Order: sequence, then C-alpha cells, then structure tokens
Amino acid sequence: MKTIKLKRTFKEGLDNFRRNGWLSFATVSVLAISLYVISVTIILGISANMVLKNVQDKINVSVYFNSDVTESRILEIKDKLVGYQEIQSIDYVSKEQALAQFRKIGEKNVSISQALDEIDDNPLLSALVIKAKNPSQYDLITKAISNSNFSAEISRIDYEENKAAIDRLSSVIKLVEEVGLTLGIIFVFIGVLITFNAIRLTMYAHKHEFEIMRLVGASNIYIRMPFVFEGIFYGTVAAFVVMICLFVTSKFLAPLTRGSISGGDIVSFYFSHFFIIFGGLLISGIFLGTLSGIIAIRRYLKV
Amino acid sequence: MPILKFENVSKIYPGKFMALEDINLVIEGGEFLSIVGHSGSGKSTLLKLIYAEEQVSGGHVYFNNRAIDSINQKHLPYYRRNIGTVFQDFKLLPQKTAFENVAYALEVSDETQEEINELVPEILDIVGMADKAHKYPRQLSGGEQQKICLARALVRKPLIIIADEPTGNLDPTATWEIIQLLLKINSMGTTVVLATHNKDIVDKLNRRVIALDGGKVIRDIKKGRYAI
Repeated sequence: MKTIKLKRTFKEGLDNFRRNGWLSFATVSVLAISLYVISVTIILGISANMVLKNVQDKINVSVYFNSDVTESRILEIKDKLVGYQEIQSIDYVSKEQALAQFRKIGEKNVSISQALDEIDDNPLLSALVIKAKNPSQYDLITKAISNSNFSAEISRIDYEENKAAIDRLSSVIKLVEEVGLTLGIIFVFIGVLITFNAIRLTMYAHKHEFEIMRLVGASNIYIRMPFVFEGIFYGTVAAFVVMICLFVTSKFLAPLTRGSISGGDIVSFYFSHFFIIFGGLLISGIFLGTLSGIIAIRRYLKV
Repeated sequence: MPILKFENVSKIYPGKFMALEDINLVIEGGEFLSIVGHSGSGKSTLLKLIYAEEQVSGGHVYFNNRAIDSINQKHLPYYRRNIGTVFQDFKLLPQKTAFENVAYALEVSDETQEEINELVPEILDIVGMADKAHKYPRQLSGGEQQKICLARALVRKPLIIIADEPTGNLDPTATWEIIQLLLKINSMGTTVVLATHNKDIVDKLNRRVIALDGGKVIRDIKKGRYAI
C-alpha cells in the first residue's frame, strides 16, 4: 500500500476517533473494563500462586536416621534419592549442624541450653531435608522412603506431623488454580464478546458512511483502514486506562499482600512486571479492537 | 459516441420483484437527460445500474462501450470515479467539513495534497460555497449541502453526473440554484442524468425526457415536458 494511503487512512482514523467523542469514549470504556477484569483475574491468579509458592517453599519433610548410621551412608542414600523426579532438592543436615541450629533457637531459652549442657552427648539425629516439586507428592515420597531397602536405618520421618497442613495447602493450591483458570476463561470470553459487540455497534453507526465512501469511489481498503486504525486507538487508549486502574487497584490491595509475596507486595509486582503487563494489555487491546472492527465492517462492506 | 447504452436491460430484485423490464436506451455524451416517473417506476434502479450499486439481471449496460457487469468487483471503485453522484439525502460525511467532504473524493483516488489544495477551493467557488468551506454539514442548509455534494461529484471531473432527486428536499429557490448549476456543468461538456418528480423543472429545462412506468420506458422525447 502506498504511503500516502497509509498516511491518509491513519489521519482519517484519528479524526474519526476524535470527532466521535462520545462513541469513542463508550467503546474505550467497554474495552477497558473488559481488559481490566481479565487482567485483574490473571494478576490475582498469579499473586495467589506466588503466595502459595512462598508458603510451599517453607514446607519440607525431614528423614531422621538412626544414630549409628554413618555420614557416608546417609550421603549414599541421598545420592540415590536425587534420582527421584518428584524431589526438587535434598539437603543433608548432620547432627552437629542440627545441634548448632538448636542451640541458636535455644539461645534465648535458658532451660534449653541448660538441658543441652547437662547432656554431654549430642542427642540429635542426622537428617535429610527433602523438598518435593509439588506438595501433593510428599505422600508418595515418604511412602517410597519407608518402603525402601534402607528403611531399617531410618529413625523417623516427620511427615506425618505436617501431613494435615501439607494436604490442606495442596488442596488449596489446586482449588485456586482451578477456580482462577475457570474464572479467567469466563471473563476472557465475556470481555471478548462485550468488546466485539460494542465495536460492532460503533461500526453500525458508521454504516451509512460506508455507503457514501463507496459511492465516491473509495476502494475497500480505503474504507477499512481508518477503522483498523480506530481499533488500534481504542486498544491503545484502553491499555493506558487499564494500566492506571491496575496501579490504583494494586495500591489498594498492597497491605493485604505485604510479606506473602517474595520480593515485597503487589505494587512491587506491578512495577517489576510493568512492561509485560503493559505489553500484554496493548497487544490484546489492539488485537480485540481491530479484529472486532474488521469482522464488523465485513458485514457492511459490499462493493 | 454514446456514453451510456442500455441493451435489453432487466432488473429483478429478490422476491421476484421486476424493477426494470427490457430497457433499451442510448445516451450521448454531453446530453442533459431527465428521467421522470412515479415512485417505484424504476428511476432509482436505472441510476443504480449506472453507478454499479446494483447489477443487471439480464441484458447489459455499456459505459463508453464497456459492459459494466464485466468489470471486476475489485475495479468497481476505479470505475465509479468516472461518475459523479448526487442524491436527495445529500450523503455527506457528517464528521467532515465541506472542504474535507469534497477533498475526500480526491483523497481516495490518491491525488496529491497540492492538487487537493488547488482543486477543492476552485470547485467550491464554482458552486458558490467558498465561504462555507470549513462548516460541517449540520451547520449548512439543505441547498448548501446539496451544493457541496455537487462540488464533490464534480471535483474529479467526471464524464457523467447522476442526480437522483437532487432537489427533493429543497425549497424552490435552492432547487433552481441546483438546476442552474447542473446546467452550467452540462454546458462545460459533462453529461447529466437527472431523475426527478418536479414538473416545473422538467418543463422549464425543455431537454430530453424519458418517462418510466412499471419498470418500462413509456416515452422518450427529445425536447419534452413532464408527462407520465
């Protein structure tokens, strides 16, 4: 397409956008509301996931070995366990390290340190601290360990104690993921539908003009392009509006999320993901705006 | 050489409504032709066939010896640029000023901005609207809007002007101004095809008159008066 056509249709689109003040305002509003609802759903889903991941990171299972099991034997077992694909990480905590940690906790508590001083020997056991990739897999891992050929060397596994908490967390994570996904899909669907309808109405308002343009000898591309640009303007303005709304929303939600997201609260999440969010909004806004525009015009454009 | 030729033309709308039946007409270049008839007699359909808004159901319409129905859909916009159209309801773009409405006809045919800036004021001057160039259609009277339409139709120097009831919404003074302009355009060599209900106009013009009734030509007189 010639540059002059591109330039003229761009200007035409801009003029349409400016001169149809109320219509543009209404279309941008609908587009912005849809994008806002969609992005809030997505961001809530992501941050809920981050909160849960944060909690999940703090969960682990400790496998304590009998005091007569040597360090090299434990490391040997550790190497064996590393091969399990459900396991994310294994840390070896020797009885000396365990004691040091315990003393540290006990620093403020005189009775603990006194009790430790009474006993000459280190009463603690060496352990392997295991983190699973997914909380629902702890059950599987502990079962596998207790049924393994080295189960006789194990003193105890503290999974049973944490089982209730871990089970609850994994069911919450699953629920959040499912609900988030379902709501997300529903909102995306509603958003697309509403936007499409709003832009279709906008095009309907222009229907009479398409006829005039054709009669004056405008080619289809010349008629269509300004509306493509108009769709781009709708999308761009809506993306800016939504960015502002999201900022206000995250400011509002910040106190609720402080500390539970690694790296700060939802506002810092907003800023650290600013360009991804903005880019996503811009692309989906423009995509929605132009696509519904093009589909709508097709109906009114016969040669 | 005939600019337009209708050869056994018929037009049937969906629902088997026969709008035109066996029309045979020859229109020479430079003619001023009035088409008269009752509402529903087929006047508008006849004009729509010329500017390819509708396609023939049978027969052919030739424009400069070329059958319009043979023109590729893609090339229709280029064909339409040979024809200026004026309507009862003006069909101006409401969001554009008078100047922009006229300029639009040039923009779509990729004329340069220099040409637009030169041609549009010139043509607005011809129709006597130079001082209202920057008004929007809603700020203009019916007669003024129709003059802008005429300017838009003329600006590309078309071979033929099709005017479908151009004075239908105008008061007598404005009506005469428009007719005078059409005559002026015709005197510069442009063919004018005018569909009208207005008996006064046809009688005063004293030019060729074609009367339609029920989709058929019932009269074709070289220097006629309004009679159906």
